[in-house]
Amino acid sequence: MVTDEKTLSTSESLRETRTYGQCRCHNPSCMGRMRPDPGQQQVKCPGCGMEYRVHWIRPDFPRIRGPVWDANLKLAEEVLKKQKEGK
Amino acid sequence: MPLNRKIAYIDLTTGEIQVKPIPVELRNQFIGGRGLDAYLLYNHTKQGVDPLGPDNVLLISGGLLTATCASATTRTHVMAKSALTGMVGSTNMGGFFAPELAWAGFHHLVIRGKADKPVYLFIHNGEIEIRDAKSIWGKSVTETQWAIREELCDPEVKSLVIGPAGENLVRWANVMTGIKNSGGRSGMGCIMGSKNLKAVAVRGTMDVTIAHPVEALEYNKRFIDQITSSKVNQTMGTIGTPFIWGATNSWGGVRTRNFQYNQCDYSDDLEPERIDEIALETVGENHMAACFGCQVHCRGKHRLPSGPYKGRYSEGPEYTSQGAFGAEPDCKHADTVLTCNYLVNEYGMDTLETGSMISWAMELYELGILTKEQTGGIDLRFGNDEALIEMITRICYRKDWLADTLADGSLPAAEKIGKNSFDYLIQVKGMHNLHSDERGTPALALNIATASRGSDHLRSRPAIDLYHLPEPVLRKIYSSPVPYDGPLSSEQTTYEGKPWQVFWHENCYMAVDMLGICKYHTMFLGATHPNFEDWSRVVQLNTGLDYSPLHLWEAAVRANMLERLFNLREGMTRYDLKKGEMLNHRYFDEPLRRGAPGVVGRKIDKKKFIKMVDEFYAHKGLDENGVPKPETLKKLGLENEPSHLL
Repeated sequence: MVTDEKTLSTSESLRETRTYGQCRCHNPSCMGRMRPDPGQQQVKCPGCGMEYRVHWIRPDFPRIRGPVWDANLKLAEEVLKKQKEGK
Repeated sequence: MPLNRKIAYIDLTTGEIQVKPIPVELRNQFIGGRGLDAYLLYNHTKQGVDPLGPDNVLLISGGLLTATCASATTRTHVMAKSALTGMVGSTNMGGFFAPELAWAGFHHLVIRGKADKPVYLFIHNGEIEIRDAKSIWGKSVTETQWAIREELCDPEVKSLVIGPAGENLVRWANVMTGIKNSGGRSGMGCIMGSKNLKAVAVRGTMDVTIAHPVEALEYNKRFIDQITSSKVNQTMGTIGTPFIWGATNSWGGVRTRNFQYNQCDYSDDLEPERIDEIALETVGENHMAACFGCQVHCRGKHRLPSGPYKGRYSEGPEYTSQGAFGAEPDCKHADTVLTCNYLVNEYGMDTLETGSMISWAMELYELGILTKEQTGGIDLRFGNDEALIEMITRICYRKDWLADTLADGSLPAAEKIGKNSFDYLIQVKGMHNLHSDERGTPALALNIATASRGSDHLRSRPAIDLYHLPEPVLRKIYSSPVPYDGPLSSEQTTYEGKPWQVFWHENCYMAVDMLGICKYHTMFLGATHPNFEDWSRVVQLNTGLDYSPLHLWEAAVRANMLERLFNLREGMTRYDLKKGEMLNHRYFDEPLRRGAPGVVGRKIDKKKFIKMVDEFYAHKGLDENGVPKPETLKKLGLENEPSHLL
């Protein structure tokens, strides 16, 4: 046998890093973890203020369905404006 | 044993058929599937071979583990010189074809020549027949599959077919093994069409002997648990791969209006949950299906909810279709995406290339580079759903000037349309990009620039780079099976360490393509999905071959190098915008305008990008031009290729 059957492979050993019940903010400069309350339909990232609509794969398994468009487009426009003013 | 599966050489010009064993020495070097196909392509074609001529070879294969006890060993690989790119053409699809081919006695087919009339192959339990395809020529993909089953009086026959797009030599035509099991990208259906080969049908009942059956099944339970317990696969099993599009669009990584924006805003109707609602309404609760031996069930089933094809059964869409027919042309209706998805699957066309070509034409039309006279009277503006749907049929049948021009592929089309149309083409090596926008993700930009079959996400994309994994986790993943102590970064917008990640994933994806396993069962979308160490166990238990994780890695490096050698032989040069590893100027010049605050304003830094390519080349043992150094070829045992051993 080329590998020991009793030892965990890299991927198996990383299993403990899985975070059920949480989803991650999609802003790459934030990426904070969020844990919506069961059945909650919207969630706001406490770190960066981005807002998301939530879909529940299962009652204990949330996922981000998409942005709250008005809120997040406003955030994007503010960043663009600041970048333009900075130039 | 899987190892006793044969290779068949079929000459469609002469009708001659030869069957040979596959030497274990070549197995050891190239494993099977895409790896061995890379060897066969390099050895059985000459420099400058006409991709549509009889001397191009069409290679069809399963992987080393196909039809064994291992999980999701379903993938069929097809390879040839591409008529779309003039370089490596390669595609990989799920379904049930490759296992049936293995049960019929074969792992690899090498098809050359051109039949003087339409034919199809029927392969059954070691026998190969060339049969008349007159009655099925012109039929759609599913019509062809059912007609073959009826003709052979066997509902269990599996077939790999082309639709009308392949017959009409649309350069990005697919090969298809099911309703939506599509071998897309790089136009392998066009190569089949050029050989007058409508289909390959297979039926087999020859046992595959497993080396250690009890242990293999026991280990597979562990493997399956690892797969099915991951969040990403539980999501896919519920709403399919469209979740990928939804997540990417959420932060601003989706190409919109060709390449003008990076987010399709207010697109709730395109989201996976909406598509899932349609599936629930039209098919019911059990609307997710799976390929052979897979527990993920990522393939959605539905009936078209509206339009001219209302009520027709269809499968998908993949996330790629949401991008190609939703965001890129800015058509924000699920019904439109589903109709387009149905059409490209029935015609046998690559969803990505079709949507991208039409979206490119839309931008040219809005810029005045294309006129209404040239579009055949179609008002080809963004957001025109009817125009989008109409263009698909026109391209498939080459109905007018523009459709015929687009059907020849992006580079010839840009030349024919002229003006500055090329500047708006989002392609690498002549193949359009996925619907993703990589301006905020340098690792993904490096991936598409250096992928062997043209701009592509399935050759080396480190998709888990988007997960912001802690550095120790990245270190654990990327330091095996070969040690790596260079930089790694959790931040997706940086350039540090990304060349190693791309190199690692290039070898990871080649390895699964050699074994015949689905990419959703490896470290593509899930950081805890199996890779080299796990496959080593699976190979040993199923075949008896003691391939260490390092052996599999080295075989993948070797096969990737052969694909590069093929491309270099066909004229690939590093900085050539048409045949090289450089990105369209818009990646460097036009910043992102939408999405998350951490994404807005980003573009690719050209100097840093070039440095990343340099580092990537260094990891691969290439010189600054992307050519392998003599010592690299010697180390990989490729210094005498082509060696003509098989």
